[in-house]
Amino acid sequence: MSYDEHDDETFRERIDANPRPALIWIVGLIVLLAVELGRIVDGIIALGGAIRFALSGIAAGPSWIGDNVAGTLGSAVGTGAMILTALLLLAIAGSLVKTIFVPGSPLKRLGYDIDQTKQTIDLLDRLFLTAILAVIALLAITSPFSGVLESGINGLTRGLESVSSLPTITGRETISNEGHRTPGGGWEGTFLGLSPAWAWALRVLVVYAYAFVALAWLWKGYTIFREHYREADWTPRDDSINRFRNHYWGIFGLIIVFMFVVMAIWAPALGPVDAEHNLYSPYEHEFEYLDDDTVVSTTHGTANLQSQSQGGESTIGLMSYDDFDRWAPFGTNQDGKDLFTFLVFGARTSLVIGVTAIGLATAIALAMSLITAYYKGLVDTLTIITSDTIISIPAFLLVLLLSVIFQQANHPIADVYNGGLLLALIFAGIYWPGLWRSIRGPSLQVAEQEWVDAAKSYGQTPAMTMRKHMAPYIATYIMIYASLLLGGVIIATAALSFLGLGINPPTPEWGRMVSDGRSYVSTTSWHIATIPGIMIVFVVTGFNALGDGIRDAMDPESDTGTSDAGAAASGGGG
Amino acid sequence: MSQEPTRTERAASDDDRIDADTDEDVMVKVRNLRTYYEGGGLLNPTPVKAVDGVSFDIRRGETLGLVGESGCGKTTLGRTLVQLESATGGEILFDDVDATELSGTELEKWRRNAQIVFQDPDSSLNDRMTIGEIVREPLDVHDWKTPRERRQRVQELLDTVGLQREHYYRYPHQFSGGQRQRIGIARTLTLEPDFIVLDEPVSALDVSVQAEVINLLEDLQDEFGLTYLFIAHDLSVVKHICDRVAVMYLGHIMELGPTEELFSDPANPYTHSLLSAIPEPDPTVEKDRIRLHGTPPNPRHPPEGCPFSTRCPARIRPDEYEHLDNELWTRLNTLREVLRERERADRTVTDRIRELLGKDPRFGTIDEIYDELFADQSVPSNVDAILEEVADHVRANDETAALDQLKAEFGGACESEPPEYYTVSDTGRQSFCHRHDDGYRSPDEVLNTRHR
Repeated sequence: MSYDEHDDETFRERIDANPRPALIWIVGLIVLLAVELGRIVDGIIALGGAIRFALSGIAAGPSWIGDNVAGTLGSAVGTGAMILTALLLLAIAGSLVKTIFVPGSPLKRLGYDIDQTKQTIDLLDRLFLTAILAVIALLAITSPFSGVLESGINGLTRGLESVSSLPTITGRETISNEGHRTPGGGWEGTFLGLSPAWAWALRVLVVYAYAFVALAWLWKGYTIFREHYREADWTPRDDSINRFRNHYWGIFGLIIVFMFVVMAIWAPALGPVDAEHNLYSPYEHEFEYLDDDTVVSTTHGTANLQSQSQGGESTIGLMSYDDFDRWAPFGTNQDGKDLFTFLVFGARTSLVIGVTAIGLATAIALAMSLITAYYKGLVDTLTIITSDTIISIPAFLLVLLLSVIFQQANHPIADVYNGGLLLALIFAGIYWPGLWRSIRGPSLQVAEQEWVDAAKSYGQTPAMTMRKHMAPYIATYIMIYASLLLGGVIIATAALSFLGLGINPPTPEWGRMVSDGRSYVSTTSWHIATIPGIMIVFVVTGFNALGDGIRDAMDPESDTGTSDAGAAASGGGG
Repeated sequence: MSQEPTRTERAASDDDRIDADTDEDVMVKVRNLRTYYEGGGLLNPTPVKAVDGVSFDIRRGETLGLVGESGCGKTTLGRTLVQLESATGGEILFDDVDATELSGTELEKWRRNAQIVFQDPDSSLNDRMTIGEIVREPLDVHDWKTPRERRQRVQELLDTVGLQREHYYRYPHQFSGGQRQRIGIARTLTLEPDFIVLDEPVSALDVSVQAEVINLLEDLQDEFGLTYLFIAHDLSVVKHICDRVAVMYLGHIMELGPTEELFSDPANPYTHSLLSAIPEPDPTVEKDRIRLHGTPPNPRHPPEGCPFSTRCPARIRPDEYEHLDNELWTRLNTLREVLRERERADRTVTDRIRELLGKDPRFGTIDEIYDELFADQSVPSNVDAILEEVADHVRANDETAALDQLKAEFGGACESEPPEYYTVSDTGRQSFCHRHDDGYRSPDEVLNTRHR
């Protein structure tokens, strides 16, 4: 490929010049998305709900602070504090909008030519956006507009909901395993009249096949980009990816983690029974089964009572049907609930908590490490003191303490996701100092590089210098530590729930499963505690393996070792 | 180095020199510039005086060399000139604008005019960005024209510095040290600066590549009319590229003058010593090296008088001791250095207890030191008497008194007050040494008698 042709071409122009590979890939992507459109829209609705919840929480902040201050210092001060907090939040929001959504200077674009420093213009831009946001916020809370806004959002949600009810390839309805025996010996209501076991197995297969195909297609997209559309024929990242591809332990970790994530995302499709029916409100949902040649119906709750696994004779073990012909691949738990369904929804809980906690902790640690490494001095000292203070308290004890305090006080945060959000926030608050400490060395190192000085010498702003010239180097390290720590968070959540403090019933959680089943370990109902225990081991090992793989792939220090091994491996493979 | 010693015409004051320079086309005027690094902790407030009162001019279009041994402050001086370090005092007049006073927009605009090329091409380019992104970044920062024109300009620049346009999409990993330095140079050129600080631009490169980069720099200077401050410790490179040279030692400029003249006929004793350290490729040449003893003083505690006074081979000696053996003078200097170190070192509690108990303290006793220094020397009786008094002070743990006594006896003008800048030739060469004063013999003469 000659470079001269690519001079002065943008990405779009390069695609226009050779559209075929891109078109093929996009068509494939559309097909993949279309067969799962309902589930994707579902996800978007859920995400929108979460964002809405978070926003309303933040919006309630000023009045909450105002009330608190008014309680001690009088209502005038309280109103002042409320307005101040509101302005502060708006200013933060304005800055965020500026950095994320608005490239360049909005004021300049509106035709104001200000002869000021970059910093001043930037500040003015932020103030400008803050003012716009304030106007929008005021409009949103005044009556006619708030009504319009509300109905608009509701309309949008309804529209999306109608899309989300479209059938999907992995849907429970598409490949149904819920049906009943017919007196003639076959099955009714299941997919193609297969037995529930086979129908369920097929669905699980389809889910994982779909997930792996989607992953492969994304990878294919990357290779197409690399081959046809990327300007550089080599980037340092290529080497990292090649090293990772020869790192079998890392790939093992990636597969485990991917399967775990798929399990969490497709939890509703993977369970042999509907979680709402079987776990959350078993007495409000009925199903049909064949009782002495007549099809009768009963509630899940009643049936569960007779399908309990409590050792001895009363055990629904692995790969078996219960007396109501419900398929239970991993048996039932001590309450007669389906263990597999419980498990996949537990994966969702663990993933949500883990990702929220580590995401927050990583964001804090990364921001702090950039700021402290760039500015050093007082900021650095204060951060050291803060982080040392947090580190010096035994982590688990602190988690216990905080979760008990919040739960006993019935703080609203403790109710969200049955305590899941609270745990995630606590973990984030406790784990960021450790993360920050572990990337402090590399970030100080990169701050001393001459290219940072060079950026300063031609007038690059500190924020951009940190983002362009420091963050990419630290991101590597923080990814490694974050993936290792994610396993730790999952274990800690399980441990807390085992102690009865983490996630409250009925939200499924692996640690609580182990706790609930531990008295049956020596009986025929050993599976209740054992299977989630093994799953925890697998997932945590997987995250650690993935972390190892990323480290060996990206850490320039390990260059020599792995590239030798990689060369040997690729040499052997031809 | 056997020329006639140049006698001093007059002792020039600072103001005279400024007047003398105004008729030339001066681009950068540095006046009494100081850059101190603050002490690291609460307990150690003494700053490191990296650049301690430096004044010089850089003329438009010339290459001014800045040489000196490691740690003498030449890199700090260069970085202060482009405002990567903030000056503690003094001024940098860049076309009559004081750069140390600038901030905000003015500083940002000013930065376009003064750029720096870094020493280590491995560290000065961000490995995660393509060459195009690296060279284009200054243009992005200053919002220069449209993105397309920026790309065009970067590719032209790559051409200019001897790379190819298609290197735009490559990564720094894919280039050799010399090529990486060319990329660094291209980046400094993007904003079309008038003045560039070259901070040892070739010292990290192979000798064969050094010549290429030096030639490139010279070509660029001709093409764009650039003004260079060339920082180096390799004297042969400096001799080749520079119009004038400033010799730096411990935060001070010791001598400044036209390259040819300075190399062939150095005036300052430090320049003498520095030039005599250049290795001679011909093994048959008999060369009298001036060997300096000890290491440069700690820039946190520079000497009171002339910065070079602790090691100077031509130091002014009191008349009554002028006849003393050179070797004995070296030993006396060593003694003073040891005592200075001891004065600065804190005695720990353990040390004091060991002393009280009569055990070996961490510091050797004064007798051991004397044994080592003077056992093989014939010490005249008047010197011996002084050494005995000094030893008494040291035994009483009073190093300060001992040092004062040594200074009173063996010190001279060099150690009591800083010298002035003397104009030592018709070309306006400046030297920072007491010896140029009419009351003393010139450095050349002294070095000839003492070291030849």
